[in-house]
Amino acid sequence: MKRLYIVVSLVMVLGLVLAACQTATPETIIETVEVPVVQTQVVEKEKVVVQTQVVAPTEAPVAAGESLPRNETLYFNGQQWGPVKCWNPYSSNCNNALGLAAQDNSRVPMFETPYLYNMMDGKQYPLLADGDFTWNDAHTEITFKIKPAAHWSDGTPVTADDFAYTWASYIKYNTNAGNNYKDYIETVEAVDPQTVVIKAKLNEEGKAVNPLQVGHYLSGAYVIQKAWTETLEARTGGDATAFLTDVAEDVVYSGPYHKFFADETKVIFVRDDNYWGQDASMWGKLPVPKYLAHQIFKDNAAGSVALAQGEVDVSQQFNSNVQVLWENYNLPVSTYLPEPPYGIGASLPTAYYNLTSNGLDQVAIRKAIALAVDYDTIIANAMTNQSATFDQVPRSLMNPTPGEQAMYDHDAVADLQWAGNDIEGANKMLDDAGVLDTNGDGNREWNGQELHYVATCPNGWSDWQAAIEVVAAAGEKIGIDIVTNFPEWAVYQTVVTKSDAPLPEGYDIFMMWTDGAGPTQPWGRIRHLLSSEFVGQEINWNGNWGQYSNPDVDALIQAIPGETDEAKLKEMYTELVRIYLTEVPSFTLMYRPQSFHTVNESVWTGFPHQDDGTEPPVPPLDLTDGWSIAGLYNLQLVNP
Amino acid sequence: MKGYMRYFGKKLIWFIITFIAAFLLNFILPRLMPGDPVAAIVARLAQGQSNASGVQAIYEQYTELFGTNEPMYTQFLLYVKNVFQGDFGFSFSQYPRSVADVLRSSIWWTVILQFPAIIIGWILGNSLGALAAYRKGWYDRLILPVSIFASALPAFGMATILLVIFGVTLKWLPTSGGYDVSMIPKLNWAYIWSVVVHYQLPFWSIVLIAIGGQAIGMRSMSIYELHADYVKYSRFLGVKDNKIVRYVFRNAMLPQITGLALALGTMVGGALIAEIVFSYPGLGTILYNGIMGQDYPLISATTLIITIMVLIATFAIEILYGFIDPRIKAAQSD
Repeated sequence: MKRLYIVVSLVMVLGLVLAACQTATPETIIETVEVPVVQTQVVEKEKVVVQTQVVAPTEAPVAAGESLPRNETLYFNGQQWGPVKCWNPYSSNCNNALGLAAQDNSRVPMFETPYLYNMMDGKQYPLLADGDFTWNDAHTEITFKIKPAAHWSDGTPVTADDFAYTWASYIKYNTNAGNNYKDYIETVEAVDPQTVVIKAKLNEEGKAVNPLQVGHYLSGAYVIQKAWTETLEARTGGDATAFLTDVAEDVVYSGPYHKFFADETKVIFVRDDNYWGQDASMWGKLPVPKYLAHQIFKDNAAGSVALAQGEVDVSQQFNSNVQVLWENYNLPVSTYLPEPPYGIGASLPTAYYNLTSNGLDQVAIRKAIALAVDYDTIIANAMTNQSATFDQVPRSLMNPTPGEQAMYDHDAVADLQWAGNDIEGANKMLDDAGVLDTNGDGNREWNGQELHYVATCPNGWSDWQAAIEVVAAAGEKIGIDIVTNFPEWAVYQTVVTKSDAPLPEGYDIFMMWTDGAGPTQPWGRIRHLLSSEFVGQEINWNGNWGQYSNPDVDALIQAIPGETDEAKLKEMYTELVRIYLTEVPSFTLMYRPQSFHTVNESVWTGFPHQDDGTEPPVPPLDLTDGWSIAGLYNLQLVNP
Repeated sequence: MKGYMRYFGKKLIWFIITFIAAFLLNFILPRLMPGDPVAAIVARLAQGQSNASGVQAIYEQYTELFGTNEPMYTQFLLYVKNVFQGDFGFSFSQYPRSVADVLRSSIWWTVILQFPAIIIGWILGNSLGALAAYRKGWYDRLILPVSIFASALPAFGMATILLVIFGVTLKWLPTSGGYDVSMIPKLNWAYIWSVVVHYQLPFWSIVLIAIGGQAIGMRSMSIYELHADYVKYSRFLGVKDNKIVRYVFRNAMLPQITGLALALGTMVGGALIAEIVFSYPGLGTILYNGIMGQDYPLISATTLIITIMVLIATFAIEILYGFIDPRIKAAQSD
């Protein structure tokens, strides 16, 4: 009996030790359970993506105490982290992800922009605007018309006065949008009730300071009703802080959805069945789901479980090893592309060099480290293959979208592009540059000092940490000591964004993001990666955190926005790529999608997928951002 | 009784001194963390901003609004003045929400989850521990290893095991949320049932671990007491077993009561792991995010509540000890 007791105890202690060694998370459990593999990709099923079913307005929304009908509700995850604080489109603090996100691909279920950006073809499509916008001959003014059908949720028409007053309020109250565009836009004026003119700020030569940024305003800033803004002003008595912090539960909007319910656990939007966009001049029908609901998950693992369970239809979070859900579990889950990289890369998470660290002022050392890094491992581990490799999309300054890839001459820089893990090439480069291990300790020296660097990124950003570890491992192979350090984000960001002094010790190689896809790209991304205008800023949230400075690059960045000749533009972009790949002030570690986009087709189908037949193609941006909202009109029930 | 009042008075003075020290530390410590909380807010706002001077303007606007540009003693005086008016100010991480609003909306979820879990875990754990110590044999052989296993399992592990077994595999219970995501709350049976069902997994993930810890503690204390001289002496005197057991467990219980008081005092800190794994609403994650985002007002307010609750709990225990443990009263009254 005593022996049996010992055996039982031992088994339990062993279990204990194992449990302590590796804490199982839903992610690891999903990853490690091996189920007989059934190679099914749901996307490959033949289905009609564009359908013409017109949604009839339905009865009144559900009452308190009742449940939303599943077949009228589209569930999201990954956008809303934490409770919604307000509904004020002038505020930047509402934490209202589904409702308020004016950006490159503005989120438009509730508030609308005159145009919708489509990252798939780089074009802006009219929403509130009627037809294309036009530049005047001097390229200093944009004019567009407003659709006669466009009206606010209170039934009043959207007029040019609304646009003018919105701009004036952005400036008057120092809003994010105002700050963002005030250096580029002089005024927004109403020519007549249906016609809006945006006048660019002019430089000394009488040219627009930056036509790209003026164009960006068309799809990057919401229009807000003048009458409601005046109500808000009256309520807050002209106090800017009160104006920007007003909860705005009474806000008037022009989009197809508005607030239905929000608390600590979720936010629900309900369709406005009087939405103007059902007019033939826009969508010709209402969006299909009556409700958009977003449960507030506390981390990615919880969101992934809900996606797998079919409780989430559209997932905008990073789901580690997402392919396991259909390959191993045969779930009706899919991504935009059926195979790796599963989505369309848009931004370029980047390792920056502190150019004042010993040796990192030398191109050979910078490039050697970048050559030696094993990017395939980063992509496989950190991104679980949800990034294109550098063999598939050779490195440049462009993201993998076809539009951006066409903007530089690939052949002209082919000999400068590297795919990584080139230890031999890196060692040779260092040897040729005289960066040698003279004292025989296995580590190279420069300026009489051992080459020793700290590679860093914020703690808890697991994909970035995995990438930084691979960078450090590359150093060992080429005789450069690279150790990692992961400070808390609160500390990290304060250090990295202080560009008025050299970066401190411990920040030799560090990771930050780049711009994604948008109407000013790739120019905006290149500016943020390389422009010296940010060096010297006390608080620099723009970019070039390694404080690189090159007058030739600055001149090109300055010239591109005013250039309209496409051949010339291509030449300029190619030159920028050439300089970037030659000087290596920073280097791309992986490609990352604008938004992760995974769908579960248990209830809804007709989501955007590659070659789904939509024209223009609906981008994989969760049916909320920019042109991707077109996807809401294409959904169908799996079991009608 | 006079001696007891003196004991009580002395304790009260010490608690007031402790409170003042804790109040000061609650204010100072978060502000000693490296980093700049306003930069964190600007980071959130500045994404997609292309205008450099605009970002600077936002930064200055917020430092002024939150007063982080003022010297620390000015901030402290303002803080004291506001706290005594019941105003904890704006939460940095959830601006423009006030700290009071943030706490009000989450604290009930935390209390409703934590309070019963602590009490039930404590009662069940102590009962099992006492049973194991008293009955020995198979009871002890089963309860001890299971308790060690449960208490040593990381909270994250326990939560995940329950999630995978009862949520994902058996699908008996929902995997996330405080109530059904499709439901619009209203106080009716359907809503209450939904809350109860969603409550189960986070609740048991806390209770099971608590049971293990309490059972081990109670078992050890009981075994110690069962072998104490007074037990042997009582047996020689022929005192009935039932009576002896009552003495034994009353004595063994004393340190457990302190543990219970501290657990209740700190419960406002939230059940962070259960909240994260089950996406359960509550203060735990809000406080965690507040600490990560250097949300001084939120950290100070929450730690102040915890301080006050711990002080009240320990003070209550001190007073209670006087009654349940005559030795203490006797010692202090001398």
